[in-house]
Amino acid sequence: MKRLSRPGEGEILLLTASRLLDGRIVWLGEGEHWRESIAEATRFTYEDAGAALERALAEAEQKEVVAVYEVVAKDTQPPEPVTTREAIRAHGPSVHPDFSYDHAPVREKESAL
Amino acid sequence: MTQPASRSVGHYQYEERDRAFLQERINEFEGQVRRRLSGELSEEEFKPLRLMNGVYLQLHAYMLRVAIPYGVLDSRQLHKLADVAAKYDRNYGHFTTRQNIQFNWIALKDVPTILRELAEVDMHAIQTSGNCIRNVTSDEFAGAAKDELMDPRIHAEIVRQWSTLHPEFTFLPRKFKIAISGSPEDRVAARFHDIGLLARPSENGPLFRLFVGGGLGRTPVVGQELFDSVKEEDLIATLEAVLRVYNAFGRRDNLYKARIKILVQTIGLEAFRKAVEEELARMDRAAYRLTPEHVAQIRARFALPDLKAPADASDVLEQHKKADPAFARWVASNTHPHQDEGHICAVISLKTPGDIPGDVTSEQMHGLADLAERHSFGEVRVTHLQNLVFGHVRKDQLHELWQGLKALGLAAPNVGLISDIVSCPGLDYCNLANARSLPLAQKLGARFGDAALQAEIGALSIHMSGCINACGHHHVGNIGLLGVDKRGAETYQILLGGDAGENAAIGGILGPSFAEDEAVDAVARIVEFYLGQRQKGETFSAMLKRCGLKAFKEVAYETV
Amino acid sequence: MKLFDLSGRKTLEAASPVPFAEWKDSQQGTAISLPQDVEVEELRPYLSSLTLIVLEFPVFRDGRAFTQARSLREYEGYKGEIRASGHLLPDQAIHLRRCGFDSVALSEDANVKDWEEQLGRYQFYYQNTAVSPV
Repeated sequence: MKRLSRPGEGEILLLTASRLLDGRIVWLGEGEHWRESIAEATRFTYEDAGAALERALAEAEQKEVVAVYEVVAKDTQPPEPVTTREAIRAHGPSVHPDFSYDHAPVREKESAL
Repeated sequence: MTQPASRSVGHYQYEERDRAFLQERINEFEGQVRRRLSGELSEEEFKPLRLMNGVYLQLHAYMLRVAIPYGVLDSRQLHKLADVAAKYDRNYGHFTTRQNIQFNWIALKDVPTILRELAEVDMHAIQTSGNCIRNVTSDEFAGAAKDELMDPRIHAEIVRQWSTLHPEFTFLPRKFKIAISGSPEDRVAARFHDIGLLARPSENGPLFRLFVGGGLGRTPVVGQELFDSVKEEDLIATLEAVLRVYNAFGRRDNLYKARIKILVQTIGLEAFRKAVEEELARMDRAAYRLTPEHVAQIRARFALPDLKAPADASDVLEQHKKADPAFARWVASNTHPHQDEGHICAVISLKTPGDIPGDVTSEQMHGLADLAERHSFGEVRVTHLQNLVFGHVRKDQLHELWQGLKALGLAAPNVGLISDIVSCPGLDYCNLANARSLPLAQKLGARFGDAALQAEIGALSIHMSGCINACGHHHVGNIGLLGVDKRGAETYQILLGGDAGENAAIGGILGPSFAEDEAVDAVARIVEFYLGQRQKGETFSAMLKRCGLKAFKEVAYETV
Repeated sequence: MKLFDLSGRKTLEAASPVPFAEWKDSQQGTAISLPQDVEVEELRPYLSSLTLIVLEFPVFRDGRAFTQARSLREYEGYKGEIRASGHLLPDQAIHLRRCGFDSVALSEDANVKDWEEQLGRYQFYYQNTAVSPV
């Protein structure tokens, strides 16, 4: 099995997937139900995430999700993914604020300078 | 059910058997979705099957890529695409560099229904993805351009039919792209396809110059000439032979080395040619002969435009231009000479500066379909630079068309100019991307959006890809931009000197990558340097050759 | 294993195939199996003594055996049975038949109905294959 990404200081892991029927992005939440909002995602420590991911993968077929994997996020309210890719998945395409999942634009990129 | 076939020009008109074939294909796909949901097919097994029907799982949803064979649509088809966008997507369609259209917000459960709706207007998503022979692309001015040697679309259709569900070549090592042009100016990037065909007429019928092993992506390669003059009757046999060699010997152990370009590079052009010739020698040539009767049959299903224009059409156009400088500017950049004196080809820019390249709304699609009906025999072409073309517009009516386009917000006078930016969807939509490409394309478009400034700069192409798979063809832009992930941050490499046409060239990487806003500034400095240093009439590529990459590098990194 | 008839041959070869590399030494029996990376030309001297050639699919996406089968029919004039074996999907039934396969070796629990349905799917095809005319 592939090694999990390791969260840094003040970071946690979330589990995400795509719904088989419509391709919609989902996050593993309470009661191991797949939720549409990242705000409802269960937070995992590095230690807990492995077993949870394995279980989620085993149940993926039955729960009609595909492409299950873990995402590193800041332990904030709601959790905020650390990579741009996952931020776009969590909030919607940055070029279409009208398509936003949370009606708030994707955070502006910090200048590299 | 469907409209009579005689309504549209420019593409093959379906017969009943073609329609029955599409219905069977949809039934087949519906069954595959059902088997996937019942667990009979695993995701691993289902994926190649859905890809061959144009269905990707992207970042936010499924994406459906609909085929537009050789880039030609008719107005009823465009109306239907507009309906699909409104009903099943978020009201947008996105035209791609392979002359297709993509919908970004599709649900898998809706796909069979969408395919049935598309089939009502003789459209499909067959082989728009997957490791098979992809949708055949062609010249956007086919059958219209003044400089054309022959209309390539008849043979493009023949290749489309031949490749559709080809039993031997549906599970190839990797995808396989064929382009065909009949122009002396290569407008299809023939040297950047797995097979590129340049058609020309001769006393004894059409001849095809065949390039093999070109491509962009991870390993950009300029295709090499395999044969100078393939005869029409040998066209299918030759394609069969090339594909057989590729299917048998193309690498399957490494995804990144599986394209035919790697095979040709590895064994060398001579050995590859020898293998193809051996296949041809052993082949039952009669079985694969493309007969004049078959060509005539296909040709008969193409309607020709009835080109009638008043004698003073050109004069009227000149008067309109004189009276309206904004129109004159649009005509200067957005038209192409037509074979018929009274007609002209109009290019509709889908690159309104600041907007997303290639995106159109459902309303715009409906509006364009109506305009095409009025001004271009209902025919619309998609270009590999993500614009649209009305092939046959009466010169005296061009002004009226332009006003219609203005009302749709689609009259940007920038075709071939710096803000006519080619871009992939990038990280905002794509599962493979490393960086976003659309925001950068939008910023560059806005930076150079001023019409007078663009006209002064002249012909200059910017191509932008969000990862090394190069869907935005960054290697062949005069200025190319490539998104790279640098320790979690999106950064952009700049390449200079690419060219997709007759002088095919792959751009050279300038140096270390830039942050997004820095990249915009660096491009601005490069353009300024070009404006300041160019000699009269000197193109960007010519000046780059004269001054060298290093001079541009110093400007871009401000090290002078 | 159960055999599914693609081409209407009716009597399918029952003999167990021997890997070609082994068979070449002994030339015992008339049934062989061939991996995808062997060129079928190598079989040329032996074809008249073979009644079954099994072409292997390590995974359904690997389509080399389609070219192998078509070469056996078209170039080598082989008239015996060609069988597909390995990881295959019913969605490939027509491809197999049109490239010259006669049969496919399915697992016991395979859904034969899917294969039958797929075989009867299309009324016409867009290209000649020079083998197994429909």
